[in-house]
Amino acid sequence: MSRSLPTQRIALRALQVLGVIAVIVLLVGMFTTKGFFSAHNARAIVSSTGFVGIVAVGMTLIMISGAFVSLSLGTTAAVTAIFFVYTLKFGVGAAIVLTILLGALIGAVQGVMIGGWGANPIILTIAAGTIQTGVTVAITEGQSVSPPSGAYSFLNATPIGLPVSVYVLVGTVIVTELIMRRTTFGRRVYMVGESRAAGRAAGLPLGAIGAGVFALACAVTAIAGILLGAYNQSASLLLDTTLTYDAIGATLVGGAAIAGGRGAVWRTLLGAIAISAITDLLLLRGYSTGVQILVKGLLVLAVVLAVHLQTRERRT
Amino acid sequence: MSGRRPLRGHRLRRTVQAGLPVVLLILLALALLGLPLYHDEGVSVFDIFNSFQSWAAVALLALGIGTTVIAGEFDLAAVGTFALSAMLAVTLGGSSPILGLLAALGAGLIVGLIQGLIVTRFDINSVPVTVGTYIALLGLTNVISGGDSVAYDNYSVGLWLDQTIAGFFSPRSLVTIAVVLLAAAVFTWTRFGRDVRALGGDRRAARTAGVRVDRNLVGVFVVSGLCASLGGALQAFSLATATPDPGTGPLIVAVTAVLLGGVSLAGGQGGAIGIALGALVLQLLEQLFTILATPAYVANLVLGGLLVVVVAIDAPDLRRRLIVVRARVADRGGGGAGD
Repeated sequence: MSRSLPTQRIALRALQVLGVIAVIVLLVGMFTTKGFFSAHNARAIVSSTGFVGIVAVGMTLIMISGAFVSLSLGTTAAVTAIFFVYTLKFGVGAAIVLTILLGALIGAVQGVMIGGWGANPIILTIAAGTIQTGVTVAITEGQSVSPPSGAYSFLNATPIGLPVSVYVLVGTVIVTELIMRRTTFGRRVYMVGESRAAGRAAGLPLGAIGAGVFALACAVTAIAGILLGAYNQSASLLLDTTLTYDAIGATLVGGAAIAGGRGAVWRTLLGAIAISAITDLLLLRGYSTGVQILVKGLLVLAVVLAVHLQTRERRT
Repeated sequence: MSGRRPLRGHRLRRTVQAGLPVVLLILLALALLGLPLYHDEGVSVFDIFNSFQSWAAVALLALGIGTTVIAGEFDLAAVGTFALSAMLAVTLGGSSPILGLLAALGAGLIVGLIQGLIVTRFDINSVPVTVGTYIALLGLTNVISGGDSVAYDNYSVGLWLDQTIAGFFSPRSLVTIAVVLLAAAVFTWTRFGRDVRALGGDRRAARTAGVRVDRNLVGVFVVSGLCASLGGALQAFSLATATPDPGTGPLIVAVTAVLLGGVSLAGGQGGAIGIALGALVLQLLEQLFTILATPAYVANLVLGGLLVVVVAIDAPDLRRRLIVVRARVADRGGGGAGD
């Protein structure tokens, strides 16, 4: 728009100044907080990134494809965790494969409707979450599911002091990043995310691309579900806590654009680590959970605005 | 949004969506009135009273979110405003509930103003902005409450709000009905109402036609904030407690009510009465399930299924696809169906 470019420029400068101040405050906070720069604390930060980080990888794929966000990835994580624990009786390997397949299936169904039909992703994913909850309660009768044996315990190992989830997160980031950068599918996802109309004009199979994106995102979420089930040594829908919004937060702080077409999985990883580090710092300095959530929300808001204004300025 | 569609299909969808809440309401009324035919228990006046009570909790939230959807935006932070207002009403309304209510409404007003100004001044999509404010508002609510649910000692306020009037109603549901009627009047007869629909229908055209886009959009977010905060405060008084995180449940119910109420996600279509009826349909459905003692998950499945159907009706490319399929079928039939 022609209007308010000066206002937006001023706002961008203000945000940049604010950002610099925030970084200084953070650095001072980090250096004056006893124990922040210890190996133990670094491990704590990285460890707490695992689950959210993996789900955020899935969220990033969805956002890049132009489907805004999924509001039920947290539910899918809990549902797949239950499924994993339940299928453990067929052996760990089978359980892992089956759970990832279930995740892919859950995602593909949503993706066809969102990518192919143009169904609103926010509402459709809410509906999908409600249905997943319903089916799960129908089958488990709302009970928590416990594993038959401890055969899965290798998932809770901590090689070199870090939980398996961290290694899985790094692996997931590398694999999805390769898929998004090196394959035709990945390039098409970016293209459709940038402009659905252009994708249609180019004759791209929008339904198949949508199905692929959501299948991949939910399969990745299922991996988080597997680790979540193993970590808690039982699974119920109560595992669905704040994962969804935390993953959205990490993705947005990583600089992905909600309108699609821009964003990168590795940047989401940085976003997730940044949130973990700041939360950890606040925790060490004795701030309450409320303050930690509040700061997280304000951080998301500030980054969203900064990214938006910056891209706008670059275009003009 | 997308290109122009055949007018006929468009009008059909509009009719289906606008008629949806009424048809569902009639079906549910029949199911409830006909209960003695297939169940040992009929529906009582108290059941309907209960439905209106839970309706009051959802309808205001749905009305606020629905207004933003009609204007072509989406206020995902409404549940955050709802939670914050409930907490403020309980913590500040200890001696005087009016003070608590005013604090809650003030918070809703401020949140709405901030969100509206951000969205309009920066010309930015409201989804990521409201996700950010949602998280921040939950944090703020947590800070105020110290992380726990807070009880409201002034029980008499809740008792007064929930007393029965004429069998079916309570002051709480009557206040909600009044707000819905007021909103309906605003949507039908005022310039603001028309402008809001114009914004959702085709924003560029609205701007060209002289609609003051920014001012109206800020207004829309303020309406959403005020509705959510009134709903939150009344709910907190009534339950005599406020929780720092209501979860995603209220959002799911409110959004379903909005869509069942005939609001199109493309914007520009729908109204307050429809949204209120959509919310009523959901609560009556829940009451029906309660009477029939249906397991809770059935409600989840029905709710989710309804949402999928409604969102599919609303999906622009499904119709496109169906038209293609229909054309192919007609071709194969060899009839003269070409137009």
